[in-house]
Parts: sequence; C-alpha cells; structure tokens
Amino acid sequence: MHTSLKTSLLGLLLLSGVAYAAPDAHSILTSSDQARGGGLPGIVWEIKLNSRDGDKVDETQRLLVKAVDESSVAEVLEPVRSKGSKILQVERNMWLTKPGLSKPIPISPRQRMSGQASNGDIAATNYAGDYEAQMSGNESVDGEPCYVLDLKAKHKRATYDKIRYWVSVKRLVGVKAEFMSVSGKLLKTARFEYDSSIEHDGKRIPFVSKMSIRDALIDAESVMEFGSVRVKRVAASEFDLGQMQ
Amino acid sequence: MRYIALSLLIVAATASAEESNWNTSWDGTLYGYANAMTLRADSVLNPSNQIADIAKRTDTGEVRLNIKAESEDVRFTARPILTVRNQRKTAGATQKNEGYLSQWQVRVRAAEGLNVAAGREVLNWGAAQFRSPSSPFYFDNGRSDPMRELVGMDTVKLTWTPDMQRSFTLARVLSTGRVASAVDEWRNTWLLKADQRGDGYAVGVVAAKAALNAAFYGVHGQASIDDETMLYAEMGSSEQLVALQSPADVAQAFSVLSASPRRNTVLVGATYTLPEGQSLIAEYLRDNNGYTTAQEAAYFSRAASSPALAGQALGMAPRLLGRDYLHLVWQSNLMESEGYWRMMYTRSLTDGGNELGGYGETTLSERVSAFATAVVSSGKSNQEASSLFSRSVTVGVKVALH
Repeated sequence: MHTSLKTSLLGLLLLSGVAYAAPDAHSILTSSDQARGGGLPGIVWEIKLNSRDGDKVDETQRLLVKAVDESSVAEVLEPVRSKGSKILQVERNMWLTKPGLSKPIPISPRQRMSGQASNGDIAATNYAGDYEAQMSGNESVDGEPCYVLDLKAKHKRATYDKIRYWVSVKRLVGVKAEFMSVSGKLLKTARFEYDSSIEHDGKRIPFVSKMSIRDALIDAESVMEFGSVRVKRVAASEFDLGQMQ
Repeated sequence: MRYIALSLLIVAATASAEESNWNTSWDGTLYGYANAMTLRADSVLNPSNQIADIAKRTDTGEVRLNIKAESEDVRFTARPILTVRNQRKTAGATQKNEGYLSQWQVRVRAAEGLNVAAGREVLNWGAAQFRSPSSPFYFDNGRSDPMRELVGMDTVKLTWTPDMQRSFTLARVLSTGRVASAVDEWRNTWLLKADQRGDGYAVGVVAAKAALNAAFYGVHGQASIDDETMLYAEMGSSEQLVALQSPADVAQAFSVLSASPRRNTVLVGATYTLPEGQSLIAEYLRDNNGYTTAQEAAYFSRAASSPALAGQALGMAPRLLGRDYLHLVWQSNLMESEGYWRMMYTRSLTDGGNELGGYGETTLSERVSAFATAVVSSGKSNQEASSLFSRSVTVGVKVALH
C-alpha cells in the first residue's frame, strides 16, 4: 500500500512536470485568443485594411469594430462613400445595414467569407470556443520556437473548417496560421505581429497589431492593422438589430 | 413628441455631463438624378394622365446627412434631408423645395440592458425583399426602389436586451412621421415586439394596436440551411382600415368597407449565394387582401366605365391588387465596396402581368459614384404592373461629402 502510494505520488509529480513543460492545447489556445481579443469582456478597435488582388490595389478601408465573444459589429469609417455602413454578426447570423437603407439585409455565411479578410478575421478571435485543438508538435517560425496546433471547427459558425496554428512557446501568442477547407485544401495563410499591449485582470498582455493574410489559391493579400484598442464591456444592445439606428 | 425627446436629451446630457468623451461625427451624400417615365396612353386607371398627374420627367437634387453624437450611455442621431425637385407635369413644370428629418433619435441607456429612445424611426424588419407582411407600417418596404427614402414613425420606445440573443420592445407610435395623411392610421399605436437570434436562425413576433384600427399580428423568421442557402418567411394578420370591394360580377358596383375582415398575408423566400458572392432570391407572396383574378378583372372593367370610377379605383386600391406574386432577384456580392447591381423580376400570378427592374451602381472615384435604375412593365392596361406606365428610367450621380 505504502509503495503504491509513493508510486502514485511519483506519477502525479511526473505528470505535473510534463504539464508544466507543455501546457495542453486548449489552454495554449485560450491564452493566444486573449492577444487577439478573445475571452475578454469586450473589445473595441479600429482596423485599417489594405488589400491587393494581383496588380489591382484596393482602396484602404477603415473599420470601427466592437466585439464580444462571437458577436461583432463593424462600422465602416472609410472609404467615405460607405461611411456608416455596418455589418452585424450574432452567432451565425449576419446583416448589412447602412443609413437610409429601408431594412437590414441578411448576409449568408458564404458571403461573409468573401474578400481577403472575412468577417471572422476582423472580429475577436475565440478559437478556444470554436475549435477542437490537438497538439501536433513543435516548430520554429522565424527562429521562434512554437507549438503547432491542429484546429477543427466544433460548429458551423466558425469562420474556417480547419486551421493549423503556430503559437509562440515563450509569448503564448499565435504567430502564423494556415486556414483550410473541410478537405484540408489550403485557402489562406496568415502572419501576426504583436507590437501593442493591453491591460487585463491587472496584467499587461501583448496584443495583435498586424495581421497579414495571403491567399493560397490566387495572387492576393490583405494587411490588417489594429489600432485604438480598448478592452471594455460592450452592451448587448449594441448587437441588437432593432437598435442599430 | 419634441418635449419627450428634449426631456430625454436634457436628462441624458445631465447624466453624462461628467463624461467628457462625447464622440461626434457626420457624413452625407449629395445626389443628383433624373427620372423619365413613359406613361400608358391607354391607361384605364389614369386616362390621359388626368387622375394621377404623374410627372413624365423629374429632376432631383438632394442632400442626405447623417449626424451622430454619442457618449457611453447616450446616443443622438439625425438624418436631415434637403430636396429640390423639378417635375414636368401635364400643366407644366413645377418646383418643390423641402427640408425634413427623415429619421432622428435620442437613446439613453437607463439601466443594464434597458434603453429608452424617442425619435422618428423606420420600424421595419424581416428578410423579405418584395414586401414586408410582418411590419404593420411598411408593407411596401422600399427595396424595389433604391432611391426611395422611407420616413420613420414618431415613436417612444423601451427596449430590454438581456443578452445577445434576445430583445423585447414596447413602443408607442405617436404618428406616421412627416407624411401623416388626413387620417393617420397609425396615430397612437402600441407596439410589442420580441426577437430571438440563435445559431443560424432569427425569429421575431410583433403585435400592434392602433387607436383607429384592429390589432395587427406579425411574425418573421430566417434560417441558414447551409453556408449558401437561407430560407425565410414573414406573415401578417390585419384588418385594412379602408377596403374597396370589387365583386367578381361586373354588374355590381364598387363598395367601400370602413374595415375589412381580418386577412392574412404570407411571404416565403429563399436565397442562394453563388461561389463569387452573387445571390439569387426567390419569393412567393400570398396577400389575401388582394383580389382574385375575376375580382381584379371586374375592378378594371368598372374603372374603365367612367373617370370617376377610375379615380375611386386608383385612390382606394388595395396595397397590391392581386393575391399571388412571384418575385425573383439576382444581385451582386453585397460585401463588394466598389459597385453593386441587382436585377428584379416580378410576376403577378393573379393577372399574369410582368415587371422587370434593374439597379446598377459603379464607383467613379473615392467619393463619386454613378447609378442607374430602370423598370419595364410588359402587359395590358388592365394588368397591375402595366396599368400606369410601361417604362421608367433614372440616372444619376452621388457624391460623398465627408
């Protein structure tokens, strides 16, 4: 009995040691989500979006985004001719509305995926809630050791079906992602930079400042720069279609 | 109304006096557009254009502004519109200048999840494009005419939003906004609305009781079947305040009911998104307030018998003449920022009339866009779609001001 207890304690110690050395995939994801707006009481940020499709350079877009978990509302600030247009997402539902429009127009999940930066990219990231994660190994990205996680969508409201995600071992932030279809076909790759920081729960944590997305199927890319980031509680009424005036 | 709004504004401003972080913004669009209509020479309802006096040519200059000021708990919005319109009618050219508030609102967060708002608001909802049966106020929802500006209802409302998925609204509609007619059907209306949004679906129920009219009940819902397909429906049950009865027997005369029997209107629709983001929409509408094929034929026969009856027929016509309609839409990707187009086809299954419409908008520069809209009706003068005109074309430009 005594020997058995010692063995068990030793086993537990070993297990905790392993856990310390390599946290589980879900907790890695939860930590990395915070650096992209997930798991916070709410976030308000401005996004500057520059896109290129082949030689054609699109106009710069500027958006004011308010997000809580998987709900978000993005208001267009630029270009000026689209100013005031809003894209609201609640769960898997999306609507487009703008000043003077007679009634909001529903947007299908397929439309939300169109363009280089889908609505899922501009909203807060909640990979821990939206995806099953499996640890796939360790690799370095630009010399930085990273956990490699394979993510599979838990439900239809997830923006992508599968993601391969590289999370920095030291900083616990996502530095690279590959977005894939159900069949595993590569759709887009993304790189992330974290030159900002936010105060949350008395701690200062790194926060995403730039996301560069490259299309894997055509010669196109988008760069999103995140600024004026504020962690704040956003009222549920901000996501109520009947109060969008 | 203005006292309620002013009181709200004063309370709100006082409450947030300590907050200095008011955000203010404005934007606006300058429109210039011209419309030409080809009227039917043989119109039954509007012979020689003597009854409706429709302008064959209309030139419009318009400024539509959006003004916003908001703090943490208060939001003020206003949409003033200034219009100069020159119309060429039978008697000659007329010019009308006007300025009005199309919409405005003062909204105050009274407590956690509870907002109080007063203003002029477009109370419109549901996914339907052709008509909105679930809205008591905006059956004709304006989607078929992209240039049309719906004017809001003067409303005081209380909205409880306990979470992202649910909201409950109690509203008092004081009047029909700017364009209140002699008999304002919606003066002093109580409105109750509840909404639920879930994973890939949204539903809402509405009940409204106007002082002058029987209760209205409506329901709307939408569900995403997969990433490409969405199904939706809207339904309304109402009594019409004025109902022109058109017996199928032509020998009988028109009669006017001051309140129609309670009737239901149902719209079912589906939208499918193509790989590049374009979408196809199909809608079927059944409006039991409309006429049957025989009743509609009798309606036109009576109207043809004298200008007086034509005037009565036109002035008191039901909101849609027929009962059954098919509406198809093919439109570009709504998420594109550099242009938009849509094609619309409507067929009255009651009288067999057809209407084809189109709208296109293209970006000329960061601030300037050009647009055109056209409607072509094919059919006879005793079919609803082609009863007044055969063609309408509008071309224009719009300039973003700020």
